[in-house]
Amino acid sequence: MVFRRGSRVEVFQASSDEAWEPYMNDFIGAHGVVTDPDTSINDPDDLIEVSLQGKGTHRLPQDCLRVLDDRQGEPS
Amino acid sequence: MAQNTCPVQSTLQYLSERIDSGVLTDPRVRRICESIRMLVEEISLGEAGDGHMPAIDELMAEFETINPNETAVKTRQALNQAFTEHREMFVSHIESRNCPTHDCGVIAPSPCQMACPAGIDVPTYLALIAEGKDAEAIAVIREDNPLPWVCGLVCTRPCEMMCVRGRIDTPISIKFLKAFAAERALSDRQYKNPEPAPPNGKKVCVVGAGPGGLSCAYYLALMGYAVNVIESLPFAGGMLMVGIPRYRLPREVIDREVAMIEDLGVKISFNTRFGMDVTYEQMIEQGTDAFFIAIGAHKAWDMGIKGETDFPRVIEAIAFLKNVALGDRHAPGKRVVIIGGGNVAIDAARTSLRLGAEKVTIAYRRSREQMPADIEEVEQAEEEGIEFAFLTIPTEIRGDGDVITGLACNKAELIAKKGTDRLAPVPILGKDFVIPADAVISAIGQYVDDSGMTAFDKIRWTRRGTIEVNHASMETSMPGVFAAGDAVSGPATVIEAIGGGKRAADAIHRYLNHIPQPRMPKIPVRRHKRPMIEMTASEKMRLTRPSMSMLNVDRRRTTFQQVELGYDEEAVRKEARRCLRCDVCRRCGKCVEVCRDKMGIDALHLGYLDFDHPVKTDFRLTSEKCITCGACAANCENNAMVIEERDGKRMLKLCGTILNEQDIQHCEACGAKLPSAQYMAFISDKTADVTKKSDQRLLCNHCQRKLSARIHVSTRPVKNQ
Ligand SMILES: Cc1cc2nc3c(=O)[nH]c(=O)nc-3n(C[C@H](O)[C@H](O)[C@H](O)COP(=O)(O)OP(=O)(O)OC[C@H]3O[C@@H](n4cnc5c(N)ncnc54)[C@H](O)[C@@H]3O)c2cc1C
Ligand code: SF4
Ligand code: SF4
Repeated sequence: MVFRRGSRVEVFQASSDEAWEPYMNDFIGAHGVVTDPDTSINDPDDLIEVSLQGKGTHRLPQDCLRVLDDRQGEPS
Repeated sequence: MAQNTCPVQSTLQYLSERIDSGVLTDPRVRRICESIRMLVEEISLGEAGDGHMPAIDELMAEFETINPNETAVKTRQALNQAFTEHREMFVSHIESRNCPTHDCGVIAPSPCQMACPAGIDVPTYLALIAEGKDAEAIAVIREDNPLPWVCGLVCTRPCEMMCVRGRIDTPISIKFLKAFAAERALSDRQYKNPEPAPPNGKKVCVVGAGPGGLSCAYYLALMGYAVNVIESLPFAGGMLMVGIPRYRLPREVIDREVAMIEDLGVKISFNTRFGMDVTYEQMIEQGTDAFFIAIGAHKAWDMGIKGETDFPRVIEAIAFLKNVALGDRHAPGKRVVIIGGGNVAIDAARTSLRLGAEKVTIAYRRSREQMPADIEEVEQAEEEGIEFAFLTIPTEIRGDGDVITGLACNKAELIAKKGTDRLAPVPILGKDFVIPADAVISAIGQYVDDSGMTAFDKIRWTRRGTIEVNHASMETSMPGVFAAGDAVSGPATVIEAIGGGKRAADAIHRYLNHIPQPRMPKIPVRRHKRPMIEMTASEKMRLTRPSMSMLNVDRRRTTFQQVELGYDEEAVRKEARRCLRCDVCRRCGKCVEVCRDKMGIDALHLGYLDFDHPVKTDFRLTSEKCITCGACAANCENNAMVIEERDGKRMLKLCGTILNEQDIQHCEACGAKLPSAQYMAFISDKTADVTKKSDQRLLCNHCQRKLSARIHVSTRPVKNQ
């Protein structure tokens, strides 16, 4: 999955990546917006910046995220 | 107790249930529980102080001394569990006056503040800017970020992506308002440092004077630490100075804010490389108590293509931009190809153009819509005449002698790889071509240069080649050594480095004072609560985000002059007024529900409340149906929705926006205030089939009763017994 700036995403599972810390289990189920995708090479291994509703902004591994839609934060 | 909700709120609910159900029969147990409930309620409302947790501890200790019945034992156990397991959450509610889960609605932070990696109190400073108080706004920002002017020009603005106003029309221009306020405060000589604490005798060594190192140094200096920053370059700023080009961020801006930090006593040793010019052992000998590493990610990845090492004009974007920042003004070539799709590629391309390259092309493996670069940067580059070659995979740099002649490429198509829905660029057979070029700049990403870090031998590194830290405290696995910024996250953003630096300063302070580190990253702190700015619904809806004036394209192509020229003052004040004040209205939607479901009126058109499915919002429509009954206001826990009476009118206001105003009526007989005409019409309509419509007289209930009693008495006189 390629994450773009503005993609609405869901943290749908815990990540198997070493960057995942125990407190992040509280993020599972949270929705948010990708605020900074990996800035150059679109590497699935890179951490990307996601602003989660009510949980702050964090750099997360991509395998815990799925795209809900790519509306780029626009109102429908 | 409930899971995945705020423990403060669930403890409160639990205690209330226990107390109200009457199961706590022992009077002493009941008294203790009631006292604890009061304290927890104050914590939940953001009204608690330092004494609250100790007071709860004392009450719990007293609870232990009582030998109660089984129910009371259960209650005690449950409370013990809540206060031990979730102590941090209680403390964080007290310290930050924030509830991250939004369960304690009154103290939930706004989405923009939550989105900011440094946790800046956005609505507060926007309100101050709207009031024309720029210096005060800067003081609020600097509680969380010492570089407001820098960030006002280059921040990637995650806050704007989460801005609730964006669900109505466009997000507030949060980033640029910060830059305006900083510039104005400086020119008014009002941009001032806070008073630092007296020196505490402890020393911290910061490695790297980028935004991460500078932020950590700033907050440590404010806490009274002696801070020595080691920087290998001849100036401070890190990538701000040697990465981001001057047409986006003038050097003046960086220098001014760095000078403010130096004014606090922070010493920066320039041209000094840690691990070479100065060593860990030397710093320890000088009495350093803790280290903070913020060395960034300055090494460029190889492209791994033929010819990469054969020509002097194959340049890494990072090295190229750094040389330009150091004063090199030579064009890299006449026909320059940049390889990459991120912001660094765009910066390298626009810089090449300004240095005189005649044709600049960005070759990117994927499609335009998959480019990670900021859309505005891409558009500005296109305006300046930069070309893009999408779905282009470079295969070889070709040349004659040591002169490049072109970049051989394959046309690609995006195909989903087996077992994943991620589209990967795959070369199309036979579709190869050459882009003529005499210089090739690679901008495919950076990694951390760990040379000079050998003395930190107990630090663990991740498989990405970054420093492993505990993100709540930014502690590395080596005691007394902390790290943040790109060296921890990999190439990221200025505001993340700032947020990490601030967090590390707090953690270093805790470490040196033997205070335990937090278990999870701190949630943002609400700094103040500004009064609402009153305006009509139509003004609130009419306000639109101003467009940015730009330097004309001819100058942009030839000079490094700042491209974005900024807003004028009027536009800034108006833009700040457009903010919805989500620090007060937390969009729980209770007002909409009450008006629609309980009252059956459906006057509130607040479609922006739903994060995932926003629909049209129009504050102006409320006045068409609203009867100023006040049911919504009565249900609003945060006082975001209020009914106010003024100048003979009853107004319904949402965070200062007047959604409706109707004339106050008075009782013809006694002069008492009455509901609005619309409200009375609504009631008489509802009750039309049970009560006869009264005559047209305006009477309060009391006078109405008196009148009907008289009628009653005159029509059916009571017989004397
Ligand atoms: C071209 C480019 C454009 C960018 N544009 C943006 C943008 O528009 N917005 C945004 O938010 N982010 C942008 N970024 C990213 C941003 O600049 C970085 O994320 C941020 O600067 C990281 O801060 P830092 O403090 O971790 O490291 P850096 O800013 O990299 O600073 C590290 C410092 O440590 C010094 N150092 C390293 N090793 C040693 C040593 N051994 N001894 C002494 N000193 C040492 C370096 O000289 C440097 O000054 C951009 C990056 C680049 C490359
Ligand atoms: S409208 Fe104002 S308070 Fe709400 S998210 Fe946007 S900037 Fe923040
Ligand atoms: S005051 Fe107006 S908006 Fe509020 S509940 Fe009553 S009718 Fe609805």
